[in-house]
Amino acid sequence: MKKRYPHKSRVLLVNITRLGDMLQATPTIAGIKAENPGCHITVLVEKQFAEVCKIIPNIDEIVGIDLNFVCRSISREKDGVIDAYDYMTKFVDDLRSKDFDYCLNMSSSAYTALLLNLIGIKRNGGWTSDEEGYRVIETEWARLFATSVFHQNRQYNSLNLVDVFRCSADVDQHPQKLLINVEKHALEHCEKLVQDARFTNTGPLVAIQAGASQGKRQWNPGHFVRLIKILTEQHNARVVLTGAEKERNIIDPIVAGCASPNVVSVAGKTTVPQLAAMLSISKVLVTGDTGPMHISVAVGTPVISMFLASAYGFETGPYSAGNIVLQPVIGCGPCNPNKPCSKPDCHDTISPELVAYLAVARTQGEVRSVPATVADPRNVVVYNSVFDEYGFMDLVAINGTPVDPHTPYRVAYRKLWLDDLGGFDVPKPVAKTGLRVMDQGLDGLGRIQECATHGQQLMDVLVSLVKDDRSSVVSLKNVNEQISELDRKIEELGFTYGHFGALTRMFVFAKENLQGSDAVDLASQMKSIYGDLERRCQKFAVYYAGA
Amino acid sequence: MGRNPLDKLADQMRTDWDRRVGHDYRFWMGDGHLDDAHMWKTGERDCATVLEGIPGGATATALEIGCGVGRLLKTASQHFGKVIGFDISRLAVDKARQLIGSNASIELVVGSGIDLQPVDSNSIDFVYSFAALACMPVPVIASYFNEIKRVLRPTGSARLQVYLGQELSVHESDTLHLRSFTPDNFLKAANVAGFTVLSCVKNDISDDGSAGLGISNCLITLRPNEQLSASPDDIAKALLPNGESKEVNPVALEAWMALNYAEALADDGHAQKARDAVDYVVAHCQSATIDTRDILDRVIAKSSAVVAPDSAEVTAVDPSVFENNLGVLRDKFPAVHARVLAARDSVPSTISSKMTKDGVVLFSATTCLDHPEKPRSAAEAWVRRSLIETRFNAAKHIVVTGFGAGYHVEALIEQAKVPVSCVEGDTALFVAALKARDVRQLLAGLHTLVVGSEVNATSMDAGTELLVRPQMAVLNPRFVEQAKSSVYSKRGLTELHPRIAVLGPFHGGTLPTAQYSMAALQRMGHKVRGLDVSGFNDGYMLFDGFLKQEPRRAVMRSQYIDVVSNTLLEAFSEKPIDILICMAQAPISAKALTELRSRGVITVLWFVEDYLRFTYWHQMAKFYDFVFTIQKGDCIDRIRAAGAGAVHYLPTACDPTFHAPLILSEEDKEKWGSPISFVGAGYHNRQQMFSTFSSYPFKIWGSEWPTGKPFDRMVQEESRRVKPEEYIKVFNATDVNLNLHSSSERDGVDPTGDFVNPRTFELASAGAFQLCDHRSLLSELFEVGKEIVTFTDLPDLKEKIAHYQAHPEERRAIAEAARIRALRDHTYERRYEEMLSIIYASKYEHLRQREHNSPWAEMIRRADGDTELKERCERACARGEEPALDGLIADIVTGQGKLTEVEQKLLFLHHIRSQVLRMKREEAGLNN
Repeated sequence: MKKRYPHKSRVLLVNITRLGDMLQATPTIAGIKAENPGCHITVLVEKQFAEVCKIIPNIDEIVGIDLNFVCRSISREKDGVIDAYDYMTKFVDDLRSKDFDYCLNMSSSAYTALLLNLIGIKRNGGWTSDEEGYRVIETEWARLFATSVFHQNRQYNSLNLVDVFRCSADVDQHPQKLLINVEKHALEHCEKLVQDARFTNTGPLVAIQAGASQGKRQWNPGHFVRLIKILTEQHNARVVLTGAEKERNIIDPIVAGCASPNVVSVAGKTTVPQLAAMLSISKVLVTGDTGPMHISVAVGTPVISMFLASAYGFETGPYSAGNIVLQPVIGCGPCNPNKPCSKPDCHDTISPELVAYLAVARTQGEVRSVPATVADPRNVVVYNSVFDEYGFMDLVAINGTPVDPHTPYRVAYRKLWLDDLGGFDVPKPVAKTGLRVMDQGLDGLGRIQECATHGQQLMDVLVSLVKDDRSSVVSLKNVNEQISELDRKIEELGFTYGHFGALTRMFVFAKENLQGSDAVDLASQMKSIYGDLERRCQKFAVYYAGA
Repeated sequence: MGRNPLDKLADQMRTDWDRRVGHDYRFWMGDGHLDDAHMWKTGERDCATVLEGIPGGATATALEIGCGVGRLLKTASQHFGKVIGFDISRLAVDKARQLIGSNASIELVVGSGIDLQPVDSNSIDFVYSFAALACMPVPVIASYFNEIKRVLRPTGSARLQVYLGQELSVHESDTLHLRSFTPDNFLKAANVAGFTVLSCVKNDISDDGSAGLGISNCLITLRPNEQLSASPDDIAKALLPNGESKEVNPVALEAWMALNYAEALADDGHAQKARDAVDYVVAHCQSATIDTRDILDRVIAKSSAVVAPDSAEVTAVDPSVFENNLGVLRDKFPAVHARVLAARDSVPSTISSKMTKDGVVLFSATTCLDHPEKPRSAAEAWVRRSLIETRFNAAKHIVVTGFGAGYHVEALIEQAKVPVSCVEGDTALFVAALKARDVRQLLAGLHTLVVGSEVNATSMDAGTELLVRPQMAVLNPRFVEQAKSSVYSKRGLTELHPRIAVLGPFHGGTLPTAQYSMAALQRMGHKVRGLDVSGFNDGYMLFDGFLKQEPRRAVMRSQYIDVVSNTLLEAFSEKPIDILICMAQAPISAKALTELRSRGVITVLWFVEDYLRFTYWHQMAKFYDFVFTIQKGDCIDRIRAAGAGAVHYLPTACDPTFHAPLILSEEDKEKWGSPISFVGAGYHNRQQMFSTFSSYPFKIWGSEWPTGKPFDRMVQEESRRVKPEEYIKVFNATDVNLNLHSSSERDGVDPTGDFVNPRTFELASAGAFQLCDHRSLLSELFEVGKEIVTFTDLPDLKEKIAHYQAHPEERRAIAEAARIRALRDHTYERRYEEMLSIIYASKYEHLRQREHNSPWAEMIRRADGDTELKERCERACARGEEPALDGLIADIVTGQGKLTEVEQKLLFLHHIRSQVLRMKREEAGLNN
């Protein structure tokens, strides 16, 4: 794989706010350690996660930032702001003193970008900012990360963000799973909880995570009740409901609705290490796209995961082989994570019977196919998680051919990025024609490519004008205006032909990251960016033709 | 986006305790002990109770929640290797540092009030709290339960002093009333928080009056168990299932306690401390139910009046004492010497003296000018306490008002590190003092001495601070007021930077006055907030269309004013102010004014109306600290009697930037010009007088005029209201402007007319010639005949019109003289200088203290080590920004050049807050 900074010795990994994100970084952390023996890895997390991070392997040092203190101080009248400022100054000074030579920040938040500019780490794998406060994304893989999570482009992406993340950090050798340590005393605690539950069934222990980070991503509690009844009454299963204390308003009614001695709730009764232990002794976890899903994968327990509403299985699906991902087929999904939904029809495309079927099947081994009669691919696609020959996670539909117009684009993009960014030797199908022929499904691509070609020509003109002392200001201005207009057009084409939005978004991010102030040098960088766009258009057409 | 309720409670606790500690830490945090030694002693006693049976040792660490000024910490530090004291009040912690001094075993932390950050988890052996938790809101107590569980080692324990018995629930933002819980609920709360209750022991040592409330003062010992702690909400529910009360007035107890304290102090002869306590109530606890003025008078009287000596007690006077004193006086202060010689034999019989163990004391009638028993030690103590005030830290010169028998002046010379002067308003009292005791050394040590004459402001330079002897304030308040004015009025104009808001009316002639006021204050460099409420006028007027009956309209208008008033209060919460200047008919309710005063805002009414015609001042005057009127005499007396804090005469004015000579186009001259013009509404007297002018080349501009004969030839544009930018053209385009003050009762010129309308100043400032009706106050403002021409009746007016139409050069000369005078003496700037001088004379200390304690001042002090941050704070403050992060970053623009490190850090904080708020919204399901 192409690598930007192959050698690292003191690494700062910024992953401040979410435990799930931290877990998804574990293959990267392990990979950095494996490829850079002796490397010291520090992770920067919110203070409340610092304790939990101790059960994540390969981390040498955990630095906690107290966001709540900062917020409380800022909100406080009088000198609260100064308290926050002083805290932050000391925090920055402490981090500076650690003399990091590489930083990986995959949070797109403005504050982490500013923090990294303040710390002043020279080599970066992710987001940072420049001295004017503008966002800087140095590596192509990190730009792909940003491009892929841009809502318009999400459903054209099939690269799991765990892989994009590790590629941003130049990691090639990596475990094909997430990592977490299960503590002995936590395990004992959970075994006792199960023992104390006095289940009357003797079948598999099925864990169910009913809560989710957003209400619209949370399956109907009535479905959970039905699912549990099938599991406990027809399959001799023992069910443990996991969750946080604040999720008890969802979980308690489910327990009450089941009214079964074979259902127990441990919601609010487990710490994160204990939850990991509980999942490790379960045979399978039924869940949405949640933090516990990642923990389950990390402890080696397969998951049946429902990707409802804004959740998208290709993007953040369970990162190990042999997990089941259920993606509803619905025109509005995956929806925008920042928008509410008052009519979450996607919930009803997945039936409790299907989930029960998959959960039982998965307790007996990997599920490689599901009859369409059990799961109609017109309503829901059932995927099995696998790894491809390049070590990237993928999802394979196992209930027939999905009725999904995005699939050919997704396949083409996957190959394009593995080839163009990863440098992998991806087999190319024989292209039928050049781009001049308006292939079906490729409307707009030719226009983008023409713009890219024209952009390179304009850069040549610009360079010659800059180098020529006799050039008039008017002619320079004229070329600049043409370039601005062209760039605007490229961006507009990306919006008009949404399936090529990822190509143009990569172009926009690259343009935002031009470095330096020398006109000739900038023009040279810009020409190369137009060149990238043109080349990617060509490659995309080739891979699309074979998809 | 609303703030976290817990943070709001923490803010409330912090504000309340900082305020109380700032007033008197021993009273509010140490059971009212009069000296520190006693405070430490009770601290030892209480600490011994708290630590009974608790293992200590050099490796053990304890933590106190609500350590205050450290009353228990010193003792606790002898028992443990380390004690961490947490308190939400920075002032308390600073005081604790000062009182405890260097002690390596004690670490003091200004806490957030709701958690024990940055203390590490599992790091504390013993957590205790004494006389603190009971005053905390229940959600805060619940949060501390969580935190105690977090920081305690599994083998550690906690001991908390609380009240158990019948449930006493108080308002959730109350930080003073005692809370009490039922034993069952407390046990439940402890259990859900993950604790086992080891013991509950009644604490009988402190007499806190709890027995009378049916509650017991208890010490509860807890040990963490294996259970996880429940959420603070669940702990709070267990502790107080029905939540905190919404009803109790949180201010009343504080005012009651402070006033009782004041009274006790007065009884013990601690006049200044008593006064401070009353001042504290006035400043912080003002509420409708407490009339502090009465109590203030009572306390001052108590602290001043004692039984006057009978004739047997009056000391015999040694004549040589007086002569010796005179000798020093002659050499050092000859002017005072001369004055004393003139008065040496005229000391009235009401002045007497009495011998005490400490020396001679003086009486004026029943008021003792010194302490009646211990004049010397009491004077020393008074000076010591007085000099603690922060304003004296930077003083270069201290002036004390009142000489008495001189003890306090001696003490001041002794204790102050700067020159000391004395001003004494009563020569006879001073003569008595010179006769009573030897003050030669005192006189020699004085920098300046003023006796019996007005204090000269020129000797009161910028570093001067005034120290008012309480007895003087009672005996000669006018002299004290004059002394304060001399010291603080002018200085206030340069040294103070109050945030001023100007509130105009919904509509009418006073609306422009508010705008001119705001513009003038801005030109003077003040931070001004203009409150243009004229947009609300449309809604206000709508009631006329909806409701036919006037009483119903009145009710709805009143409610409408309440809505506007509440809006203003919210606006002032967002951007606090120090002074609110209301123009006449400003739409603000009494309730809102009271609320603002309780926030320490000085309320001012500039009543630019005829007090006889507009009488709402009867109801409203008492809600203003200052009322400025355009009339004198009876007007001032009556408004003062209606309860206004202070009433002063302040005529209206002009804005020369607007009321200026204009170069008009021919078209404008044609439209707006006339040989004779009048601008104003068609009041009765004007209609009556101008009805005879139909044969004159006369234009009338303004509303409410009849348009039929004979006015049809005179009234312009169907009697519409003309705008200021229009009537200034009329002034400029007219040869003779008539200015007839309105009257609804009289015909023509009102012979009793006193005040001068704004038009008079505006015409003068515009360089326009005017004939103005006679007003009794006009001659103080313009020289009649030279700067302005007046008329007394219709024949007089017509004669003068004829004269001045025929003598344009005379018109020009008079108009020019008027303009010079107006620009010199009658601009809004001059008026506001005067108004603010008057306010500063009595409110200088209040405003300075407010400025000193303002959030920006605190931020600027804290930023002292960082030049760029400090300058940024100062700039934001000067811009009038809200004292918060948003104000601090308001002028940072990304993408316009390199950001400095400070800018990046501030933006970093800004983005953190945005991110956390976003996450909290997500958690709360708001984005679902």
